[in-house]
Amino acid sequence: MSAPSITNYIVKRPWLKRAMTPLANWYTDAAGYRKLGLKFDDLIPEESEVVQKAIKRLPAKEAYDRVFRIRRAFQCSISHTLLPAAEQIKASEDVEYLSPIIREIEKENKERVDLDNLVVRK
Amino acid sequence: MLSRSSVRNAPRALAAGRRAMASAANPTFQYDVSEASGVKVANREVAGPTSTLALVAKAGSRYQPFPGFSDALEKFAFKSTLKRSALRITREVELLGGEISATHSRENLILRTKFLANDLPYFTELLAEVASKTKYTDHELKEVVVDLLKYQQLALSSSPENVAIDAAHGMAFHRGLGAPITPSESSPYEKYLTGDALAQFAQDAYSKSNVGIVATGPNSGEVTKWVGQFFKDLPAGASSSQYKVQPSQASKYFGGEQRIASKKGSAVVIAFPGSSAFGTAGFKAEASVLAALLGGESTIKWTPGFSLLSQATKGFSQLNVSTKNTAYSDAGLFTVTLTGQADQIAAASKNVVDALKKAAAGEVASEDIKKAVALAKFRALESVQTLETGLEATGSGLVHGSKPYQIGEIVQAVEKVSEEQVKETAKSFLSGKATLVSVGDLHQLPYAEDLGLTV
Repeated sequence: MSAPSITNYIVKRPWLKRAMTPLANWYTDAAGYRKLGLKFDDLIPEESEVVQKAIKRLPAKEAYDRVFRIRRAFQCSISHTLLPAAEQIKASEDVEYLSPIIREIEKENKERVDLDNLVVRK
Repeated sequence: MLSRSSVRNAPRALAAGRRAMASAANPTFQYDVSEASGVKVANREVAGPTSTLALVAKAGSRYQPFPGFSDALEKFAFKSTLKRSALRITREVELLGGEISATHSRENLILRTKFLANDLPYFTELLAEVASKTKYTDHELKEVVVDLLKYQQLALSSSPENVAIDAAHGMAFHRGLGAPITPSESSPYEKYLTGDALAQFAQDAYSKSNVGIVATGPNSGEVTKWVGQFFKDLPAGASSSQYKVQPSQASKYFGGEQRIASKKGSAVVIAFPGSSAFGTAGFKAEASVLAALLGGESTIKWTPGFSLLSQATKGFSQLNVSTKNTAYSDAGLFTVTLTGQADQIAAASKNVVDALKKAAAGEVASEDIKKAVALAKFRALESVQTLETGLEATGSGLVHGSKPYQIGEIVQAVEKVSEEQVKETAKSFLSGKATLVSVGDLHQLPYAEDLGLTV
């Protein structure tokens, strides 16, 4: 399960995209998760089979970093502090690392369902 | 039920059979060898509604760079490719009513497809796609391939006979042919297996110079055309990565003794340097005749048969003996395998050596030798005719650069074997170094010393 989004709708309309980009950047930054040292993909709810499978498919280094970020954010949350500015996640670092795998698994599942309901016409 | 007419017709049928034997160079058994876009293709025209197409690659456990690579490559066959997923391949093959499988031996990796003759283009494309476009993703390795490999290890290690044969190869040839066909459960093979490494191995294993295509079916004329079209994308080979197919070093026979404790039953393998495959320098027809003469397993129901070992082990009811010459491209292993109850194996293995001594001393009735020659001839011919063994033998001939199977010549070679040659072979076995592997209840199983074998 990837996070719900209206990105596609906006990206298809260049004028809308131009207008929305600064707003989107401000909003994401204001959401504050980067200040806790998290990436957006860390926020995707884990409690589904698809995401569990995707997490299992992460390369070892990515999986380790993910757990590290989550634990660091947890500590920050408990102590009611934000990370020092140098350690916060920059916008350039906040890239998708889990969503592509999730989309791949969703594609696999969809293909399986499609093939299982296949009707052969000869 | 035997009807009277069938009995009356029997002599005629026999005569007809003999006539068929006489023209041994039956054209339908011959493979036409050609080349299509750099890939060697062997065709056999067989009338009928179904076809077989196999890809034989010189990438068996002998040529793998690290343990487990041949197994993993075999299990990765027909998994997701750049064009379609593993599931789609399975479903499509189901819809067409075909059969796909992959196996590997010590020397070769074989991808085999069987299908209705009309679907030839589809399956040719499928094989080409598997060979050149498989993705070798890490998650498929982790989620599917490694598990399959574990089942294979379990299946092999639960049979003492397999463990003994594998160990006998290890003792006899050390590296190369001696490498275990599937890494044992206790070996640290996992650390070598990654998707990237396998992809590099596959690129070399499925390169144009390293594969052969073997086809049988009604429209084998079209095979060359389709292979030429679909196999264009195969890499040309000569990779320099550390994961490339290992260059073959000439096999050398060492011999020795190994004892492996096991709770899963007992087996003893007594092995000697045998004959290599037909068409290679080390081919000795007398080894296959001696294997038929020693035998152990009857070819006819309810009778022990003529073979020396089945006569020598008649009294043991919980025992199975078989003799085989396993041929490879540059060496062979002549094995006598005893499985069953440990005490009976211990007693019978002495009989085996005695029977071998009898053969070496020439105390064998010439009629028995004649029967053995006939049986060896039958086995050689049958193994070519049977699809399973014939495909690999032919493909192996293609990729190892030896002659493809020629029926007439095999028959001649086996027929020419004399009593003297059989005697000499048995003598050389006894004078040279033997290989003895005992698996199971070691308290009861014999040492080579007890049997009078030199190791």
